[in-house]
Amino acid sequence: MNRIETSFENLKKDIAAFYKPEVHHFITMNGVDLGNDEIEYQWFFCNYAFPSEITMFTAKANADKQVPSIKNSIVSAWLPEAELVDLLGVDIEDTQKGFVLELDSETAPLRKK
Amino acid sequence: MLEPLHFKFTTENEKIVKTEANVGYVHRGIEQACCSKFKFRQVSFVVGRVCGLCSISHTTCYSQVAEKLVKLDIPKRAKYLRMLVIELDRIHSHLLCLSHVAENSGFEALFMQTMRYREFSMELLEAVCGNRIQYDFSIVGGVSRDLRSDVAQSIIEKFKVFRPQLDELVEIYNSNWSLSLKNKGIGVLSRENAIRLNVVGPFARASGLEVDVRNETEDVLPWKEVGFEMITDTAGDVHARNMVRLREIYVSMKIIENIINGLPEGDLLVDTKAFPEGEAVNRIEAPRGELFYYAKGNKTQVLERLKIKAPTFSNIPAMVETFTNNEYASVPAIIGSYDPCLSCTSR
Amino acid sequence: MQVFLQLSVLMTRACHALQDKFQIEIMKTFFKTIGNLFRKPVTIPFPAVATYKPDDYRGLIVFDESLCIWCRRCETVCPPGAIVFSQNITDGKQTYHYSPYVCIYCQECVRTCPKQGCLTQSSEPGHPATKEKDVNNVWNKLFTDSLESRVAYAAEKKKQQAAAKANPPS
Repeated sequence: MNRIETSFENLKKDIAAFYKPEVHHFITMNGVDLGNDEIEYQWFFCNYAFPSEITMFTAKANADKQVPSIKNSIVSAWLPEAELVDLLGVDIEDTQKGFVLELDSETAPLRKK
Repeated sequence: MLEPLHFKFTTENEKIVKTEANVGYVHRGIEQACCSKFKFRQVSFVVGRVCGLCSISHTTCYSQVAEKLVKLDIPKRAKYLRMLVIELDRIHSHLLCLSHVAENSGFEALFMQTMRYREFSMELLEAVCGNRIQYDFSIVGGVSRDLRSDVAQSIIEKFKVFRPQLDELVEIYNSNWSLSLKNKGIGVLSRENAIRLNVVGPFARASGLEVDVRNETEDVLPWKEVGFEMITDTAGDVHARNMVRLREIYVSMKIIENIINGLPEGDLLVDTKAFPEGEAVNRIEAPRGELFYYAKGNKTQVLERLKIKAPTFSNIPAMVETFTNNEYASVPAIIGSYDPCLSCTSR
Repeated sequence: MQVFLQLSVLMTRACHALQDKFQIEIMKTFFKTIGNLFRKPVTIPFPAVATYKPDDYRGLIVFDESLCIWCRRCETVCPPGAIVFSQNITDGKQTYHYSPYVCIYCQECVRTCPKQGCLTQSSEPGHPATKEKDVNNVWNKLFTDSLESRVAYAAEKKKQQAAAKANPPS
C-alpha cells in the first residue's frame, strides 16, 4: 500500500493531479480518532489493472478545523463525507448533517470519550 | 421493495426530473461495537451479522485483514474452501436478485420459478457450512469445517440437475417479449457516467466497465488458478444487468467444479499468539461489488479502528443519477436490478 | 377430446400463418399451463413431510462435567457470552451455566477447550421459549451474579490466607 502524506492546503491540488478517471478508482474516505482531539483523515484509491495497488492520502488535523471537500474532482465523494460528518462530528466544506444519523440522536459516536 | 431505502422523486408528467435519497434507517453501530466490546478474534462473528445475504464475504474479508495485522499465512486448503463457499454464496444471491427484478416487473410466475430453482443452493450451503444463512465459516487463521467427500459428490450431482434449469431461465429472461418491454432500454447508465461515478459490481460490468476485484488481486486468494473469467455487457440497462448475473452463475459453477476436483491436502487452521499491530486494508468481491475493510491495531486484544465500505455504498450516487428521464412506473424494476443491500450500507 | 385437438390444430395453423412471434409464445405458454393442471405442486407440505437437515447441522452445545478441568477458557472466547461459571463461596466448587438462547452455535468453545470430548456440538436445533420463562432478564441476572460470586470467593480466600499468615497454627 502506498502512503502519501498531504495537508489541507495541498489536498485539492494533490488529488486533482493524481486522479485520472480511466486509470484510478476512488474507494472511500475514512477518519481515525487519534485521541487529544486530533483526527487523521484518509482517502483511498486503487487502479483498474492487475495487480492492483492501493494508494492512501492522509492528513492529520484538529477536530475543529474544516476539512476541504474533493467533490469538484470526484463527484461521488458526497456520500462518504456526509457519513463522516455525522459519525465523527467534524465539519466538511459544503456538507449537510443528518444523512446517516437523525438530527436528534447522540452525536459523534465514533469519537473517543 | 424489501430494503429500508427512501427515495423522494420530483416528476413532471410521469418523467422523473430529480431524486433525493435517504439511507441510515438500520444503523446499528457495528464499527463502534467492534472497537470497544469484542476482542479481535470474536469480531469475525460480529461482522458476519452485518448482512444476511453476503455474510461469507464480510467474515472472509475481516479474517484476511486480521491475518495481515498478525502476519499469519493460512494453508492452501483453507484458501480453496473459502473460495468454494464464496462462489456458492454468489449463486444464491444472484438468483435472489433476478427473482426480485422479475417480481418488480410484474412477472410473478417467473419470480416463483426462479425461487424454486434457487432452493438447491440453500441445501448445499447447509450441507457445507451447517446453517442456511449465517455460515460462521471463515475465522482468523483459516476455516472452521472441512468438506466431506459425500458432500462434494452431491454438489457435482446437483449441478447436473441445475444446468438445464438455468438454460431455461436464460431463455425466458432473454427473449420473453412482455418482460423485455419493462427491461430493455430502462435505467440506462453509460460507460462515461460509470467511470465518472466510480460504480462497482455487476452494475458496472453491465455498462462495459471491466472492474472486478477477482481480476485485480491475486495475493490473498488465487482466483486465476481456479478458472475465473470476467463477464461484461455494453447496453447498461436492466436487461444487460440480468444477463451479466445469469452468465456469472455459469462461471461460478465452473469454478466450484475446478475447486472440488483440485482440492489440495493440508490443515484447516493455524494459530498464533501475536497481537494485532499496525494498519492493513483488504478488498474482496461480494456478490454486489467491491467490499473494502481497513483495520488498525494497537497491540491489545481489542482493535483500535475498523472501517467497512459496502458495495452498495459506492453505487448510491450513481443510482440517484440513473433515475432521471425514466418513467415513474419503472422505478421498482430499476431498484431491483441495482440490487441494494442496506444492511451493509448503514451498518 | 376430438374437438379440443381439432381446435388446437386450427389455432396453431392460424398463428403460423400470422407469423407473429408474440402469438406463438402465448400459445406455448397456454399449452404449458394446461399441462400444469395435471401435475403435483412443488411445495413441500411441511410439517407433514420433514425438510432436508444434514447430520452435522450446527446445534446446541453439550457439556460433560466429568472431563472438565475448570480452566474457564470457553467463557473467555465465547463471542456473545453464553457460557458463565459461578463459584460456591464455601468450598470453591464451580458450576457451568449455558444459555441456548444467547448462543450463536459458532463452535469457538469446542475448538478452544483443551480436553477433547468435554464440550461437543450436537445437531439438535435450538428451541423457542415462552414469554413466562423471561429468558433475557433471568440470564442477565445469572451472569452478573456468577461474576460477583467469583469475586467474592477470591476475596474470601485472600482474607483466610491473610488470617492464617497472621496467626500461624501451632
